[in-house]
Amino acid sequence: MIDTSRHIPVLETDRLVLRGPKPADLEAFMAFYKTERSHMAGGPLTEKLSWQAFAADFGHWAILGFGRFIVTLLGEDRPIGLVGLYAPHPRPENEVGWVIFDSADEGKGYAREAAQTCLDYAWRVLDWGTAVSYIDPENTASVRLAERLGATLDPDARTPDPEKPCLVYRHPRPEVQS
Amino acid sequence: MTQSSIPTLETRRLTLRGPEPEDYPDFKATFTSYRARFMGGPLNAYESWMLYAAEIGHWQIRGYGMWMIHDKQSDETFGMAGGWKPAKWPEAEIAWVIWPDRNGNGYALEATHAVRNYLYDHCGWETAVSYIDPKNLDSIRLAERLGAVKDKDAATIDGNDAVYRHPAANTLKGSQLAHGIEMEISHYADPLFKPKGWALD
Repeated sequence: MIDTSRHIPVLETDRLVLRGPKPADLEAFMAFYKTERSHMAGGPLTEKLSWQAFAADFGHWAILGFGRFIVTLLGEDRPIGLVGLYAPHPRPENEVGWVIFDSADEGKGYAREAAQTCLDYAWRVLDWGTAVSYIDPENTASVRLAERLGATLDPDARTPDPEKPCLVYRHPRPEVQS
Repeated sequence: MTQSSIPTLETRRLTLRGPEPEDYPDFKATFTSYRARFMGGPLNAYESWMLYAAEIGHWQIRGYGMWMIHDKQSDETFGMAGGWKPAKWPEAEIAWVIWPDRNGNGYALEATHAVRNYLYDHCGWETAVSYIDPKNLDSIRLAERLGAVKDKDAATIDGNDAVYRHPAANTLKGSQLAHGIEMEISHYADPLFKPKGWALD
């Protein structure tokens, strides 16, 4: 009855399907934001804020026309993470962000595969001029991933919250092939 | 449910539509102001944007949500009204907010009366509550004009709110109360009507 996917593209990679959020993803989303593990991704969040953040992901797509995808493995619909294009106001710039909910799904290159697909989408479809990733300085795994994606530290870029330490990695827009 | 599939409700003076991106500045102006003190605010810019985005997501998660109240003639926005049930809400709520410079015209009464009828008739609600800060006298008076009464036994959100219970779906339809509300709304819509006392929502 409730169609959440009409305006949200579905992106497929070799191993993954990236799709818009569905109400049934709420449980996995809130379970992640309860964990200490979520502290690299703005968590842990209270139940109230985590529900709101999940609901806001739908609105993000509706308002901005892009947003965070739910990452699932090809052939199953289980949500394993949240990767996508994120720019809640008044963030300074458009971000490419990634979260893998469970450590058991880490180390397999899923975040990289999904993030690369989202970057390609940002350049090709949305025609973004630039994109950043905001990374907690302690989050060395994400720093490494940003570097593997070709991003470099941009020490002059504004951070979302002056009170919180945050590294800004800038993704280079590939040269347009004509 | 996409924004375009949120039903549009028409009342005598108002059009109620799902929240749209271009309405955000009006929402932000109220929710970052002192007016929002009874609604968890004032919020900062980020909190306000996240709440607005969540208002849209609420429709998709619950199948109902908050409508944006528009003037039927000019299309400008006056506030919001609808069904609201985020995390930690004991029951589904009927909620409303009117922008501070738009109160005193009966818009909240007119919009809330319409959304309550819709939630009862089309969404299967049989009962509804409103969670109201006890200091929010304008909202308490509106709840009472809508026929809601304080329900001391009902669970509250966090102990800081009073629960007003609306007349049940099956007692409201065709009741003297419903006629009285419609009569009050028609008075507000009458250009010759001057409300007595201070401005109410």
